Amino acid sequence: MSISDKKSEKCFRSNLTLPNNVQEVPRLAEFVDAACEAVGFDMSTTMQMNLAIEEAVVNVMDYAYPPGTKGDVCIEAVAGEEGLVVIISDTGAPFDPTTRGEVDTTLSAEERSIGGLGIMLMRRYMDSTEYRREGDRNILTLTKKRTN
Amino acid sequence: MKTTFKEENNQLVMAFYGRLDTAAAVQTEKDMQVLYNCDGRDIMLDCNNLEYISSSGLRLFLGLLKVAKPKGSRVCISGLSNDLRQVFNMTGFTNLFEIV
Repeated sequence: MSISDKKSEKCFRSNLTLPNNVQEVPRLAEFVDAACEAVGFDMSTTMQMNLAIEEAVVNVMDYAYPPGTKGDVCIEAVAGEEGLVVIISDTGAPFDPTTRGEVDTTLSAEERSIGGLGIMLMRRYMDSTEYRREGDRNILTLTKKRTN
Repeated sequence: MKTTFKEENNQLVMAFYGRLDTAAAVQTEKDMQVLYNCDGRDIMLDCNNLEYISSSGLRLFLGLLKVAKPKGSRVCISGLSNDLRQVFNMTGFTNLFEIV
């Protein structure tokens, strides 16, 4: 989604940088709540955005950097006329989550594996998920359109 | 996020309060250890006051089921809000647990 200069004057734009520590997730929730409020999303959509964005960010925190090493994840939220755009970036190992996350939800408890659910939820709740690698950065763009 | 635990009519009941996000899942996993000694007794996960759950929390529920089911325990989930029920539907968890 591109946002023209004229619109960007009116729209909400906010940045958050977190270390790769999942105990920082509550700060992410505050950030997402503020962005969703700026768009005017209802409570259900706000919960879904929290879920999708948490899953994407935690995935970076858990897997982008080698175990025991520090790294950051940057989150930019733009709330405009069209809805919410969230850009999540990191300088970790190349990883494209948009091609993952197919989970067979019909399997029994014994057969179900523990992984993959987070990325599946991210993909289901966002309208679009786009990944690109730019230099040493993973850049994931998540979009949720305004419905009303 | 907090949990409470009680034994009632030979059933193990754990109630969840607040947001079960990835940060809260670390402590919640420890809280849930008491349920692993179910020995065939049924387990009730009371979600009436659960506001939010992400995949880290769903993993804890699935992990419990994988331990409890072979021991002959039923795992029931009660009080899911409509929003949370949708998450459970989407992930196929409504087929795995008894949703009451």
